[in-house]
Amino acid sequence: MLYKNNRIGRRLSVFAALAGMLFVSAAVQADPVPLEERLQLCAGCHNQDGNSVIPENPKISGLHPKYLVRQLEDFKSGDRKNPVMESIIPMVDESEFKALAKYFSEQKRLPGLLAPVEPSAPAVADASAPAAAGALSEQAKAEMVEKGKQIYEEGVLATAAPACGGCHGADGAGNDKFPRLNGQNPAYVVQQLQNFKTGVRTNDPKAVMRAVAKRLNDDEINAVAEYIVTLKEAE
Amino acid sequence: MKNLFSIVIVALFSMQAAVVEAADAYVPKVYGKKGYVWDEMTPERIEVLKRGGDPVKGKESFRGCQGCHKADAAGVREGVYPRLTGQHASVLIKQITEIRAGIRLNPKMLPFVEDPAISMEEIGDIAAYLGTLTSARENGKGAEDMSAKGKKIYTDNKCSRCHGVNGEGDAAKSFPAVAAQHYDYLIREMKWIRQGVRGNSHPEMVKAIAKFSQSDLEAVASYLSRLPDYRTVTAAAAPAGK
Repeated sequence: MLYKNNRIGRRLSVFAALAGMLFVSAAVQADPVPLEERLQLCAGCHNQDGNSVIPENPKISGLHPKYLVRQLEDFKSGDRKNPVMESIIPMVDESEFKALAKYFSEQKRLPGLLAPVEPSAPAVADASAPAAAGALSEQAKAEMVEKGKQIYEEGVLATAAPACGGCHGADGAGNDKFPRLNGQNPAYVVQQLQNFKTGVRTNDPKAVMRAVAKRLNDDEINAVAEYIVTLKEAE
Repeated sequence: MKNLFSIVIVALFSMQAAVVEAADAYVPKVYGKKGYVWDEMTPERIEVLKRGGDPVKGKESFRGCQGCHKADAAGVREGVYPRLTGQHASVLIKQITEIRAGIRLNPKMLPFVEDPAISMEEIGDIAAYLGTLTSARENGKGAEDMSAKGKKIYTDNKCSRCHGVNGEGDAAKSFPAVAAQHYDYLIREMKWIRQGVRGNSHPEMVKAIAKFSQSDLEAVASYLSRLPDYRTVTAAAAPAGK
């Protein structure tokens, strides 16, 4: 050996061993995708700031990070099913969930139906926009919002459906257990309530949302969704 | 012969099953069924009473209840949901644990109160929190001119023996406060107790109200709904008594 009984030689071999360990550990852990880059995967459907302009896709801005992580975990495990998320989620490693959730939780939730920024993109939005909401007269829409407000704040006594505001808050701000609702896209709210009602979505802890949705009829679901999109975050 | 043999076998097995069940599992019994005893302690209720409650934690846990009972726990004037403000913790714990055990039959409330919608620990916390609440909202009241008749019926039938002269109930005996409760709720529950629909009827109460006419029920409910919150009465009486 060239470096036999040589201090430098021993140091070099220690260095080599350390470098080897580093290399091995780097190889085991997949290259972490920078958050900026990963966000592009989400932004296509949810928008860069989490305020989706596509009515069927949820706004995920301002959701509690714990709630977001739980949803991502449920998509990953299959406890929550969605064809689009099913194809996306395998590309995202569980170690990224926290940072993604933190980012979107810090984005401000915007109320109302949002127009796409780029004028070239609206074909998707138009195709998936709720036909009923678009076709309504101003008067009918206002009545629907009023009815939705009643349901949101008082529930439906006849079927003992609880008021949404009880858990989600009067302003819809939610918390770690109950997701933020204010400004949510109505088509998405209708879709989720129907999914709870029919048992398609089953990742509601304690099955509480399934129990609630079963007590609402289609008119009530549509009305409450039209009210929720108008709810503004309390300053 | 073969049939007889299989009957004997089945009988032996079911006897064994019954013995095992009695030893292992707590089996709730509702009013009208053999073995029903009013106020029989369930294992969960014993545990909850032993643990006590934390009103601060209870406030957070109550979030899941206020969609129906409202943030001030005063329910709704229509009486679909009762006024819980001022109800004794012992009564709330009895009712919640009995709904969970299937002794009080309340299918509308069950999904929101059964395990794990609410944990065992949360029951005591919620009960403790409700004790701290008052409500400025007016309860649903019956007709004023029925009140005097209601008071007479309440007195003549010795309702106050359990529910108190001021409708304050009895915390130690788990008798609910009924003063200032919603009129329609009182009528509904009296009927459900009498019919056994409620599941955890007190047999004495069933007897006491068995012959009440609709008008009697309305009169009693009117009287109780028009009584003030018993806490204001006892608070006002306390300095005078000392």
